[in-house]
Amino acid sequence: MRLLVVEDEVRIAEILRKSLGKAGFAVDSLASCGDAQAALGVCTYDAMILDLGLPDGDGLALLGRLRSGGDQTPILVLTPRDAIEDRVNGLDAGADDYLVKPFAMTELIARTKALLRRPGGALGTTLKAGNVNFDTIGRDVTIGSVPLLLPRRESAILEHLMRRLGRVVPKLVLEEKLYGIDDELESNAIPVHIHHLRRKFADAGAAAEIHTVRGLGYLLTETKA
Amino acid sequence: MIQTRFRSLQMRLAVRLAIPYIIAMAIGVGFLVYQAYDTAGTLNDRDLNLRAIDIARYVSPDPDDKPLLNLPAKLAAAYQSSADMFAVRDARGQIIAASPPSFGTLVAAWPPATDDASYFRLKNFGSESEDYYGLSVGLESAAGPLSISVAQAAGANALVSALLREFVFDVAWVIPLLVLATLVIGVLAIRSGLRPIRDVSEMAAAIGPNTTSVRLPVDNLPSEVTPLVSAVNRALDRLEQGFALQRKFTANAAHELRTPLAIITGALDVMEGNGELAKLKSDVSRMNRLVDQLLRVARLDGVAMDVSNEVDLNEIAANTVAAMAPWAVAQERAIIFDGLDRQVLVTGNGHAIEDALRNLIENAILHSPPQTEVTVRVSPERSINVVDAGPGISPGDRELIFERFWRGKAVASGGAGLGLSIVREIMNAHQGSISVEANPNGGAVFTLHFPRAAGLESSTQSI
Repeated sequence: MRLLVVEDEVRIAEILRKSLGKAGFAVDSLASCGDAQAALGVCTYDAMILDLGLPDGDGLALLGRLRSGGDQTPILVLTPRDAIEDRVNGLDAGADDYLVKPFAMTELIARTKALLRRPGGALGTTLKAGNVNFDTIGRDVTIGSVPLLLPRRESAILEHLMRRLGRVVPKLVLEEKLYGIDDELESNAIPVHIHHLRRKFADAGAAAEIHTVRGLGYLLTETKA
Repeated sequence: MIQTRFRSLQMRLAVRLAIPYIIAMAIGVGFLVYQAYDTAGTLNDRDLNLRAIDIARYVSPDPDDKPLLNLPAKLAAAYQSSADMFAVRDARGQIIAASPPSFGTLVAAWPPATDDASYFRLKNFGSESEDYYGLSVGLESAAGPLSISVAQAAGANALVSALLREFVFDVAWVIPLLVLATLVIGVLAIRSGLRPIRDVSEMAAAIGPNTTSVRLPVDNLPSEVTPLVSAVNRALDRLEQGFALQRKFTANAAHELRTPLAIITGALDVMEGNGELAKLKSDVSRMNRLVDQLLRVARLDGVAMDVSNEVDLNEIAANTVAAMAPWAVAQERAIIFDGLDRQVLVTGNGHAIEDALRNLIENAILHSPPQTEVTVRVSPERSINVVDAGPGISPGDRELIFERFWRGKAVASGGAGLGLSIVREIMNAHQGSISVEANPNGGAVFTLHFPRAAGLESSTQSI
């Protein structure tokens, strides 16, 4: 799994390299737009982490050039907190996700993995949360090494929660996903499925929890060690 | 107070006008009274002269060729009063006639009168012990030269008193009134002339750290004051620059702190260690939050926020709650979104409103005990409530908490005391307000309230 990190701050680049390396990625680190574009011309990367404030130009411009040139590499943009409009611009320019500086390294790794898990992404097949594994092709779920059998609707809900690990999945989104499976959806269908999933997780000793954000949706987190 | 009143330009001018007015009035009235007396005296003298001539006309020689006074009855009756006296002497000084006779006795001792009238005064004379004023004059008559003395009681000077009375009552009383009217007009003129200065003073009094861009208008001011006001304006320019520099410094400092902080944060994440490391991480995250807030403050101070967009409070609140829910769950608090199924439109800046709400939610979660709930409620009346189950805010602190760098007794939360001041500034920029009340079930309720959206027919619209 090869990542390109474009970050001009030497120490931050070093830390990114080190921690992403520890997480099992091969990391190339560059410090300017020019170098990045040159590198992308010769190598293929599974994802790119792009800082917006670079010495030889705006990261957003590079992003625009890459996308208009047909480059589909998943890109995670790093943006300073006070440049709040940048993140909107960044997403408009074709970034796949953004993180606000300063960020927790665990968050960066999780987001990077999420990018790679997207359809067509390098990690496309297996989703992971704690000791819960979800194979999106075989639709097999294992907790630890024990397989967990799930009905189709529950597995669809779990897939979405796992794709958005650590983030709120609105109940509306889940309902839309289920409409495809079952056109006659009960109004309390989602809560019922979530309830079943929770019980199965607890029974199987899953190191992941489904939290309810009342009024909004659901949130899957890894259980703290 | 009295001191300051007399220090006012208006009062000074009034006093300085009033003093010469009163002096001029006193001189003017005095002069007029003097003139009146003088005129009256002259008239009196002429009157006495005429009387003397009158009497001389009625002196004629008797058969013995001696002069004899033969006054007509009417005139004789007039001289019966004690107020008027006369004495007629012949060329040899013999009294021909006198009324009363005591006057004749007195006059007999006097040297004969000349053609030039001589005036005299008598004190305490006669039966009534009155003061008299009179003249002696030598006159020709049918019976030869005569010395005639005529006198009149001073108090009986009817002409003079009549003149004076007429003057004082008909004319002189107008003068103080005129002076008073002039003074009042003067004071009013000064007041209206000074009004622009008062207006400018009021404007100047309202200038504070948040309104450093205000300048005092010089258009309508008297030219004498314009240099002063211009100088004040230039001083304000310099102050504003100072303020801007200060803000820029804060922003730059916070900005510069961010990179080393990001490095420390990242490095700590990579390190493996014991409980000390976890503490260090929480210290660093607190510092991150502080730097973050400083930057937000600097941004609020520095640039005018664009609050002209039409935004949906319901959507903003939902997004903010969704963004903060993972953090809340990590803090072992539940967060509840009590939204609406329709839009609540206001004009404002969505990012800023999100900032404000995030600050409130952060506070609510940090100040409430674990396993409790924080509720974010959107109401159709363009407000967002954040309800927590924490210790609440004591009534005495409810205004203080919005001050910059104010921290309650619960310093343990590790806040810098900037969050709520940021919220208030954001709400001020939206012409809205933030308030805090006690939650009936314990804890606090913070409310962001937005004004009715300008240009929108209805602020809540069904989707």
